[in-house]
Amino acid sequence: MKMLTVFEKTGPARFIGHLDLQRAMQRALRRSGLPVRYSQGFNPHLLLSFASPLSVGTEGLREIMEVPLAEDVPEASFLAQLNAALPQGLKASLARALPDDAPAAMARLHAARYAIRPMTSADTLLAAAPAFLAQETIPFLRKTKSGERMDDLRPLILALRAEDGALYATLSCHERGTAKPEQLVAALAAFSGLPAPRCRVTREGLLDRDMRPLEGL
Amino acid sequence: MDTNWQERLEALLETVSRPARYVGGEVNQADKEWKPGMTRFCFAFPDTYEVAMSHLGMKVIYDAVNRAEGLVCERVMMPWTDMLEGMKREGIPLFSLETRTPLSAFDAVGFTLQYEMSYTNVLAMLDAGGIAVESRDRGRDAPVVIAGGPCAFNPEPLADFVDAFLMGDGETATLEMLRVIGDGRRRGLDREDILLALAQIEGVYVPRFYTPEYHGDGRLAAFSPVRAGVPARVRKRIEPDLDLAAYPETIPLPFTEAVHDRIVLEIMRGCTRGCRFCQAGMLYRPVRERSPEKLFALAEKLVASTGYEEMSLSSLSTGDYSRLPALIRGLDERFSSRRVALSLPSLRVDGELKQTLEMSSQVKKSGLTLAPEAGTQRLRDVINKGVTEEDVLRSVTEAFESGWSGVKLYFMIGLPTETDEDLLGIAELAKKVVGRYYALPREKRPRGLKVVVSASTFVPKPFTPFQWAPQDGLPEIKRKQALLRQALNIRGVEFNWHEPELSVLEACFARGDRRLGRALLAAWRSGCVLDGWSEQFDNRKWLDAFEAAGLTPAFYAQRERPEDEQLPWDFADIGVTRAYLRLEFRRALEGQTTPDCRDGCEGCGLRRFEGICPE
Repeated sequence: MKMLTVFEKTGPARFIGHLDLQRAMQRALRRSGLPVRYSQGFNPHLLLSFASPLSVGTEGLREIMEVPLAEDVPEASFLAQLNAALPQGLKASLARALPDDAPAAMARLHAARYAIRPMTSADTLLAAAPAFLAQETIPFLRKTKSGERMDDLRPLILALRAEDGALYATLSCHERGTAKPEQLVAALAAFSGLPAPRCRVTREGLLDRDMRPLEGL
Repeated sequence: MDTNWQERLEALLETVSRPARYVGGEVNQADKEWKPGMTRFCFAFPDTYEVAMSHLGMKVIYDAVNRAEGLVCERVMMPWTDMLEGMKREGIPLFSLETRTPLSAFDAVGFTLQYEMSYTNVLAMLDAGGIAVESRDRGRDAPVVIAGGPCAFNPEPLADFVDAFLMGDGETATLEMLRVIGDGRRRGLDREDILLALAQIEGVYVPRFYTPEYHGDGRLAAFSPVRAGVPARVRKRIEPDLDLAAYPETIPLPFTEAVHDRIVLEIMRGCTRGCRFCQAGMLYRPVRERSPEKLFALAEKLVASTGYEEMSLSSLSTGDYSRLPALIRGLDERFSSRRVALSLPSLRVDGELKQTLEMSSQVKKSGLTLAPEAGTQRLRDVINKGVTEEDVLRSVTEAFESGWSGVKLYFMIGLPTETDEDLLGIAELAKKVVGRYYALPREKRPRGLKVVVSASTFVPKPFTPFQWAPQDGLPEIKRKQALLRQALNIRGVEFNWHEPELSVLEACFARGDRRLGRALLAAWRSGCVLDGWSEQFDNRKWLDAFEAAGLTPAFYAQRERPEDEQLPWDFADIGVTRAYLRLEFRRALEGQTTPDCRDGCEGCGLRRFEGICPE
């Protein structure tokens, strides 16, 4: 079986990069005493898989990883044992036992919900959100490994509203198209003719194709 | 006091590179609560988080202090330049990882001195932490600034900045120092009196109680105590029994990958081989081993508390550990089923050990690294490196036969008596290594031959037989590097060398005197920090700083010291005597080797320390 695990990455842990997070989780699982499954081969390693990497500095409230297990473990004991081994800022809130052949969370991921909080007052910027969203296309410069190219942000914004001094956005997050909160803020700032404010970003949840929480199945 | 800096810090963390280095809260961080009446110590590592978290000594002291009643230890490292500048701009003081306490609020701040080019980082950290950089400017409330580690054996270049140095093993002595500091501060003693009390602890050197005098040409003329009640010579501290010495059973796990990110077991301290360039080999005598039983118990606890997937053994010469096969077998039996790989350095592998290694599934052989240090037998005899060409060729042949195609060979250039023939000998040896590879039948040799030849520039160190020897001048170092580059233009061979300007500065500070403090101060003020990182190093600024201090690098680096010259570190008694080092220097120049002292006492002087040397 494998255990779909929902966890938060907050506080100091939001500064851990993705590779370091993988290492931290692997070591936590090793300390936990849970019967995790290892790969075969010369350098056996833990077969963890994460639904989506999170940028350094971004908090995640309902991040998802899947942990293959060598034997069955009750969900509640898995949760308790893992949490006992996790550092400050990493905390598991839900575990769901799945058969090994259940589709991977990574493959089911379609979108992500973000709360984007400007660190300096940005009322004018936020007020421009509806007009910004009403555009048919939102051209933006996408930086890629091979350079830069123009792309359209509009189809990647699935929902956007401004409320209580923050932006709440649902952004496309799958292999055919991904938008990042920083790209959204930069495009909105360019649209409003304002400098892009520095923001605290929280990824509040991961969604499947039907816009339901990924962990809901 | 400005209390809003914590909020500004949160904002700053969003903008700096690798912020995980500054937030603490790692697994196994010691969260010992400070209460009134306790002594609060901040262990300061004058290099980045990634380097600091690879360092065993920090983990040992951190654990030992936090286990002790009445003492608390937190950590701080050198921030990267973006963070350092941001903190200055935002008025954020350098703070501890555990509780975000500014350095100025600790009872004591203690630096480990691992590398000469980290000295300006010490100054930068004091300043950023709100502590007066110069010892004489610190008032009653300022923390006592202490320092230890290998470079503390020649403390003089930092004498103006550090209140008290510890020479030698720190496990017990650090606790003694902190108790004296804490008691003194609670009783409201004057700074001077606290320092005087510190000077009574064996191994402690308080520079303000000693004064150097110089000849007109800059050589040291005299060095003596100026205060009654301090020792004329400071004898180093020794932990006599490693099984009884403090060792951590749990270590903080870095949030961002450290340079060495694994469990490290220190199996032995000291070395008896007597390589004449090697400072650690002299400083850490006598040889002391930790027992396999103790190591097994420590390993059990460390594996359980960290979840690390790799373990390595640490010592100056692991192949000399007397019960190595039993140790490796025992670790393998205990941990291979738990998927903890044992990473071993290059060893001379024969007999029982060979069998053990072949049996074990989890021993990770991390490629072959050999350090012949010199290219000819003549020069290897000069430096007393007991490795022959045949040893090297046999080891690489075994490595190629067992499937490795990568071999690393370490050398030094600029060793005393070196000629171009010795340098070309490095290339000859590399060619022979390549030859051994091609001598294997095509189907038996691993693909992708890569022989990496690294040549560092020889830096003469205090407390070695070469402490009197000159370093090559910059043009000569560059000429030799160019010669080697040309000679090593061999297919399958890669050549690495060190920045020569950096090696010259290392040589200055390694054998520097107290006057160098002015150069350090000027260099730091002109922006020299993190100089060990080549993108930060700016030699021009250093040369200007020397000039501003009225000093020349050549005086320190390139001058052969006459036999009768008083050396700035002569006041420290490391056990090995000056007379023995001089004898070894003479033997070196004659090309005469000295056997390993386990085969018979060579009279290095350590036996003067009663009951310390086992042989």
